[in-house]
Amino acid sequence: MKNKLKRALVVAGLAAVAMLAAPVAQAQSYSVWVVESSRFMGVPYGAFMPDRVFVPGSTSKFNNINTVDLPVNVGVIKGMVNGKLEVVMADAGWKQQDYLKMTGSDHWHPLPETMKQLGISADQVTKIVVGHGHWDHAGALSDFPNAVLYIQKKELEGIEWAINYPHPRISATNVSPGGCARTPACGYPPKTLDEIYGKVLAGKAVIVDGEMEILPGIRIYPAHNAHTAGSQLLAVNTGTSVGTLVFGSDVYSSWQGIRDWMMANPQSSADTAQQFLAYEKCYKLTGRSDPNNCIAAHEPTSYTADYPIMKNNWVGANGARMAEISLASGESSKRK
Amino acid sequence: MGQQSGAAAKPPQWKVVLVAAIVAGLIAVVAVAVQREFAANKPPSAAASFAAGIALSGYDVPALTAEEEAYAAALWPIHSEVKLAAVRMIFAGLNYKTENQDVKELKSKVLPLTKTFKDASTRVNRMRPPVSLQDAHDSYREALVLYTSATREMVKIAEDGKDEHLFLAQKRSEQASLAILKLSDLLWPGEYKPN
Repeated sequence: MKNKLKRALVVAGLAAVAMLAAPVAQAQSYSVWVVESSRFMGVPYGAFMPDRVFVPGSTSKFNNINTVDLPVNVGVIKGMVNGKLEVVMADAGWKQQDYLKMTGSDHWHPLPETMKQLGISADQVTKIVVGHGHWDHAGALSDFPNAVLYIQKKELEGIEWAINYPHPRISATNVSPGGCARTPACGYPPKTLDEIYGKVLAGKAVIVDGEMEILPGIRIYPAHNAHTAGSQLLAVNTGTSVGTLVFGSDVYSSWQGIRDWMMANPQSSADTAQQFLAYEKCYKLTGRSDPNNCIAAHEPTSYTADYPIMKNNWVGANGARMAEISLASGESSKRK
Repeated sequence: MGQQSGAAAKPPQWKVVLVAAIVAGLIAVVAVAVQREFAANKPPSAAASFAAGIALSGYDVPALTAEEEAYAAALWPIHSEVKLAAVRMIFAGLNYKTENQDVKELKSKVLPLTKTFKDASTRVNRMRPPVSLQDAHDSYREALVLYTSATREMVKIAEDGKDEHLFLAQKRSEQASLAILKLSDLLWPGEYKPN
């Protein structure tokens, strides 16, 4: 009887150990990089962040910089999920060379070429989560033929509402040559919308209505009206010492903006209160008292030590800047 | 003797002609060199770049001539309508696929756009572009033909319910959208801002 009890206790103990060990063995981890799609050159700081407007002669650190170069950052998340390779992109940059002059852009590099340096081919990308549908974030969808697009329903509704609004100054995709005056539909050229529509037609789009988990540990959170009508955040629990990262796209275009609680990249489709709530959301989701795990799409200090999450950065063989943020178990550093 | 000394003081006629010819030749060489130097440093015109398919960097956008400016100004209101119609056409398809699968609604949204694109074509065809913008102008006309054709293709789904029409239409629309983007880059380089 004693032996039977002992045996039962041992079996129960082993079962308990196995149960405890199982989640550890299956713990999901992701490698994460940020790569630069292009750079907007010489943007007046005040146009990007009104509180950082340049005041000639000012000694304030907030007002003594005239212009900044803004990168267009794209997140690349890679992991093995149930034995299958998953590559998720946070935003998709853009590829139309013709935008170059319009935006004063430089340092443009095709994303598929840049990602090859991370050992990832374009057809391995399984999911693209666009923070919103603007051309510089959803402009290269067709470069990733197998990827499923995730876009908020509200984003599409917001554009449609604008283009059908009776007043021409509100429905205009652009109000005058030389400037769109940030009308609500500004930022969505037909070419970009054709790319989104192409994904829908190909059956490779998920129209997200609010929050959604797309993979274990990877979750979309709505941030409606924080930049555009249907903006969204992408939270990634890396399963590594880095913890949770939150890709903000243009919900927080500037990491300094979150740090200093200043609005960035104002749009007529945005609400400052919603932007600040999205800042708060990032602090909450990352569980940190600093905004260091919030990844901003256009932070001027990207790829420098001033933006701590990107301190491990380098310039790739094709000239694109990139930063290594998290390495899943078994993944080797891609920094050459 | 006197005659001889006089001849020595004054060079013969042929020598004067020779020196003058050499000087004229040198001046011509210098003139050609200067002209070439200036031509080499001058950025290609916007129209020439468009024709050659060259993407210029953001720092050397050439100014349009007065004639080109006038053409751009006349095209702008048409272009604004075309872009809006293109976006509305895309949304008609998007809604059909993601919302209701209602062919009647799709048709009712798309048919008026056929007229918008056709009217735009008529107006653009009436325009007389400067020679330098002829290629760009022709490309814009082709884009309008593609958009018109895309709308006609889309509504065919009402006849047989085949998604194939939407695929074909989307391809044409995307081609047209790229063409108008190239032209707007040439004529209105500030049309889209970083955002």
